[in-house]
Parts: sequence; structure tokens; C-alpha cells
Amino acid sequence: MTTADDHNDDVALAGEYALHLLDAEARRAFEDRLSTEPALRALVAEWDADLVVLADEIAPVTPPVVVKDRIENILFPHAAKAPAGVSLWRMLLGGGFALVLGLVVLMILPPADRSDIFAPQFAVDLAAEDRSLLVHAGYAPDTGVLRIIREAGGARPGRVLELWLIAEGATAPVSLGVLPDSSTTDITLPAAFGDAIAGGTLAISDEPIGGSTTGAPTGDVLAAGVVISI
Amino acid sequence: MPTRNDVEEMIVQVGLGDRAAFSSLYDATSAKLFGVCLRILNDRAEAEDALQEVFVRIWQKSSTYAANGYSPMTWLITLARNLAIDKLRMRKAGSVDIDEVYDLADSGPTPEAAAIASSQRGQIDACFDELEPDRADAVRGAYLEGHSYNDLAAKYGVPLNTMRTWLRRSLGKLKDCLNR
Repeated sequence: MTTADDHNDDVALAGEYALHLLDAEARRAFEDRLSTEPALRALVAEWDADLVVLADEIAPVTPPVVVKDRIENILFPHAAKAPAGVSLWRMLLGGGFALVLGLVVLMILPPADRSDIFAPQFAVDLAAEDRSLLVHAGYAPDTGVLRIIREAGGARPGRVLELWLIAEGATAPVSLGVLPDSSTTDITLPAAFGDAIAGGTLAISDEPIGGSTTGAPTGDVLAAGVVISI
Repeated sequence: MPTRNDVEEMIVQVGLGDRAAFSSLYDATSAKLFGVCLRILNDRAEAEDALQEVFVRIWQKSSTYAANGYSPMTWLITLARNLAIDKLRMRKAGSVDIDEVYDLADSGPTPEAAAIASSQRGQIDACFDELEPDRADAVRGAYLEGHSYNDLAAKYGVPLNTMRTWLRRSLGKLKDCLNR
């Protein structure tokens, strides 16, 4: 093979890399070369610049407001609270009261003492589209505590809010109980439930007092979100 | 609409740890980058997760931006696209392999890339037009939908190796055309 052939081969290979077409093994081998071959890096950069023009046809879509909050909470967890903003994890560190309602399989406990730092590894924001209901949830697998913080909204008169977990790949939601009126609630989940939290979806539905009697949501689903690792 | 220079300045400031600049950069670019994630993943919740990772990565990597020779939107869109495709591949593989997370080549100035101007839009369109329609679509599908060789081979009903040969040849032709 001539030098020109090698070059042409690298041009195509860099293009495959830029398109993300190489399999894992080939990609690693290529990246090993990238770290020592500036000319190859330049080829990838050229492809990235050439191909990015294709993205012109992709229309911008405004992401939900909660995404920015989540990002800033990950990057700047100890940031001073902005006057109008609400820092999720400051709230999660706060205390509150819990009322025992809901289903028998679960223990709903008062939040741990303030000095006992709650360190969630999973979180999700549940927001109604018009943000009339906004609930933060954080889950700490080491203690099995799912902390629910209601920032805005509540049940309608004569109704209650019921929390549901839909495990990844599951076809039916499982009730985690009726949410008490307090702003903060700790729910200690059985281990089997805890495992389903990661990657699962939490949802809140509107139900009659005492909660759904059918084992499935009967009223409107007011808010839902996928639990993410933080 | 912020200009290229505005976005570039924001990235540089973010690289210096400026949180206000990070907030401005998010406001200026998140809709486009969310559009990219949605296009690849075709799932709102996954696209939101991807966008979150994109901005965490931007915060972590922006200090190396000045050295990489990418124009600002190319850098951001490429980063978003690659993270979204990583998620797409993980979804298909059903597992997560941290080693496979794609990284941009982030050193070594490439003046050619930096010099890319909007007039090249017309040039790349013209070069795609020189390819057979199927093959131009395959390259577009790989870029815009994150199709893998397996996806493309299934879509066009050809063996994997044939698909790869087609695509590599198309890339060679594209490059020849772009270099003219």
C-alpha cells in the first residue's frame, strides 16, 4: 500500500469515527492512535466541521425548565440560593413532618434528624406541565429512604395525591402510598423497591381519599419523571 | 440570537469557572442541543438525561476548548451528538461501558476546521448530491439518526460488510469533493 492509500484509508476511518460507526474495539484502537497522531485528530476535526452542517436541519426544542435546575444542582450543589430560585438539595437537607397514611407494605417515617445528612444518589423532579404541582424526590440506597419534597401544589379538595413507581420495563405502576399534606416526607422502601428506583419512573396521580382502591391509578396522572443517577 | 463570537466568549468564560457565563451559554444553546439529543434518541426523558450530561461535560471540558480548533457550535453539537449516540448504543446493548464514552479530539489546533464558514453549507450539499441517493441517505442517517452499520445494513438490505464498503467509499468521495 502506498502512503496515499494509507492517507485515504485514514480519511475514511476518521469519517467513520466522526459518524460514530466504529465498533467499540475499533473505536478504542482509533482513539489510541488519536492520542499520538495530530494529523489524525485534524482529520476528525475536519469531518466534525464538515458533517455538522447536516445538523442545520435539526430544529431547536426548548428543554423543560427543570433540566437546567438539575444540571446546576449537580455542578454547584453548595451554591448560595438565588432569591427567587429553589435549590433542590438544600431542601432535601431540611426536615419536615410525615403523616402515616398510605399502603401497609411501606413504612412512612418522619425525616431523619437535621444533623443526619441525607445523601441521595438518585433524584427526579415531578412537575405538572404548568408547574402547578412541583415535587422533588431523592433516593438514598444505603438507607432505603425516598425523600419527597413538595415545593408547589397539593391535592384538590376532597382528593389526595398518590405516588407510583413504574420500574424500568415494567408494565404496571406500583403504589408507594398516598402523600401526606406535609411538605417533606420520608418513605423507607423495601430493598426490592429500591432496586427498581434507578432508571424507573415516579408518577403522582389524583385519587380519592385513602388512595386508589384498585391497585392502579384511577385519576389523572398529574406529574411524572424518570429517576436519574446524580 | 447570540453570534458565533458571543458563544465562543461564553465557552471561554465557562472554562474559567464563570457560572453566570455557564447559565448564559445554557440559555443560548440548550434548545439546539436538546433538538440534537431528541433527534438521535427519539425519547424525551432520555434526551433530557443526555442534555444534562452534555452540559456537565461542557462545564468540565470548556477549559480545553480554546486549544481544540473547533468552532463553538461545531464543538457543542458534536459533543451533544456523540453523547446521545453513546446513550443510543447503550440502550441497544442493554449495558453501560464507561470506557466507550466518546471523547472529542481535544488538542492540536486545526486551522482548516476553525476556518469552516457558513458558505460551506452549499458545498457539502453539492457534494452529497454527487453521491448516489441511497448512499447519501446512509451517511445522513448515520449522522442525524445515529444509525449503526447494523441499522444501515438492515435498512438497505445488504450485508454488513457491503454496507461498510459503501459507506467508506462514500466518505472518500465526499472528502474528494469537499477538497476540490
